[in-house]
Amino acid sequence: MATAMTGHGMAFIRNLSGVLHSRLQVLHPQQLACLHTSTPLESKNWERSNLKVYPPQGIDEDRRPAEVHHSRRQIKYSKDKMWYLAKMIRGMSIDEAIAQLSFNDKKGAKIMKEVLEEAQEMAVKNHNVEYKSNLYVAESFSGKGMYLKRIRYHARGRFGVMDKVNCHYFVKLVEGSPPKIEEKTSFDQAKEYVQSLKDRTIIHSL
Amino acid sequence: MMNLTAFVHSLRCSLLHIESRLLQASGLTLDKQLAPSLAVNGPSLLPPVDMEDEPEEQSAGLTDGILWMAVPKKRRTIEINRTRRRDENNLLKVKNNIEPCTECGHLKQKHIMCGFCYAKVCKETALIRQQITAMEGGPLRAPAVETVVVYEGETPSELDKDKRIVERGRKRPAWFS
Repeated sequence: MATAMTGHGMAFIRNLSGVLHSRLQVLHPQQLACLHTSTPLESKNWERSNLKVYPPQGIDEDRRPAEVHHSRRQIKYSKDKMWYLAKMIRGMSIDEAIAQLSFNDKKGAKIMKEVLEEAQEMAVKNHNVEYKSNLYVAESFSGKGMYLKRIRYHARGRFGVMDKVNCHYFVKLVEGSPPKIEEKTSFDQAKEYVQSLKDRTIIHSL
Repeated sequence: MMNLTAFVHSLRCSLLHIESRLLQASGLTLDKQLAPSLAVNGPSLLPPVDMEDEPEEQSAGLTDGILWMAVPKKRRTIEINRTRRRDENNLLKVKNNIEPCTECGHLKQKHIMCGFCYAKVCKETALIRQQITAMEGGPLRAPAVETVVVYEGETPSELDKDKRIVERGRKRPAWFS
């Protein structure tokens, strides 16, 4: 009886899936593109990028530097205020970043420092990084978390909507020394501009 | 039969009503016949009636206040907002006065004591203070003389004869000269 029921159930499910498949195939690829299979609230893509495994490298290829992605979600802080801290540590070596954050008075600095230290530990333990100081901050940015809405009372019976803000913080550490950014002087930029003007040619001319 | 006649009568009435309304609206009514044919400008019998004062403001110039309040004329675009928020002055400055402490190796700012060393000193000071409270036995019993802390294996020197001696049962810490 039970087996018969399950048999029917399986047939039903197979039929359903077949119907859905045919329905989806009928949909144009352009229409399929706007189908969201996972909402932004559930998709933790940043954490999942740590699970990516590359195929083994050839002998002649350059060694691919180790990368660690780490994040903290729903931090009780503003994403705009967090952005300033994230912008400050972009491109720094991890030791320098931790030093700067430990002497910054902002609330987000303490949280960011914890995230960096966790990421450093993860890199050494799980991601085959030899020296914990041999890391630099490749990417660091903040995102909007879930907001709670509250009423803010104004005069004369008026009200506004107050947002209780939360933010996410994302950081990517890469093994190696931080890349040096060549600073172009204004004179160099002006020289380049003049050169680009001089390099112009008249097409289809004699 | 009764219903039909009544219905027809009501229809006629409504049609007449609509017609009169249309005429009124278009202005082709026969009101001219009823209006006076001659109008003379004479002295008015009643004193001139001043226009009623403006309906008094709701409360002490609030409506007026709202009108001349400074208000943004246009929405600030995201580009303008970004250039203001990301301007060099508003970004956080990188500190260049961080160095490792020579005593303990933790990081410290050049002009500020190392946090770890300070915590170390605080701990020892708390223990000395506990000793002092134990010696005094209650509040407001501090003697009118100076205090000297003596560690194990030390004797108070000649200069410290008249001072209150607080004994700590441990070796003198290296930083307490």
